[in-house]
Amino acid sequence: MSIEAKAALLGSAAALALLGVTFGLSPFLQSATVAASKEQSTNIISAAASPALEGEAKRGHSLFDHNCAHCHGEDARGDEGPSLYDLKKTDGRITRIIEGGIKGEMPRFGTKFNDADIQALLAYLRTLKS
Amino acid sequence: MTNALWAKMHGGTTHFPIALVMASVVFDLAGFLLPDNPGKTRRAGFQAAGFYTIVLAALGAFGAVVSGLVMSQGQLWGRGNLARHHVFLWPAFGLLIGLANWRLVVRDRASPLGFKIYLAGSTLTAVLMATAGYWGGELLLNG
Repeated sequence: MSIEAKAALLGSAAALALLGVTFGLSPFLQSATVAASKEQSTNIISAAASPALEGEAKRGHSLFDHNCAHCHGEDARGDEGPSLYDLKKTDGRITRIIEGGIKGEMPRFGTKFNDADIQALLAYLRTLKS
Repeated sequence: MTNALWAKMHGGTTHFPIALVMASVVFDLAGFLLPDNPGKTRRAGFQAAGFYTIVLAALGAFGAVVSGLVMSQGQLWGRGNLARHHVFLWPAFGLLIGLANWRLVVRDRASPLGFKIYLAGSTLTAVLMATAGYWGGELLLNG
């Protein structure tokens, strides 16, 4: 067998092994990071002296953590984007902003979130009171 | 570490493998297509640059994949733009690891046909990685 054929076999085996490890470890990573995220959320909620999140608000917090926390901060008190505490806007206005974004400032999420997702996010945002 | 920090780390690490794979393809193509100089150093130089850049790209891909997986809490596919990102990312990652290993073993002993097949594979990897990067950008800008 030529060196190229041996290298091709080795390369294929290495690629498959690594993808296998990545896909195999992913569920463990998922449970570990979700657990860490829950602990973090609990800490944030405790610090803010807010009631524990349940139902829609809990799901909304998970959506927020995945999609919004990069800019609005893990605790939603603002980072690159503004704080989301004590929002005065109506649900309809917030929904339009989430769906359509703000040009040059915030991305659109209209194609990513369905109505139920936005309702969950709204439920979470309404828990954010200082 | 917080989710936001992992997101920033992913943004920081992910550009290295994309750029390095593209650079590797350019160096290898230059070494393959350009005529050699009388001292026979030009082609060898380009091939060495192509070799080191693909190996560094493969090493850099680990950081990008790990930070991305932690950031997305272990999501391998997701939906919408995240799914589109992953459809191109996983084949690119597998190809990159395979090609870097092939190159590490073969070094400068590749036959013209073997090197042509390798070049086709690395070009495909660069295209797949750039496309995965495009959908990653869309994810960031448009959710």
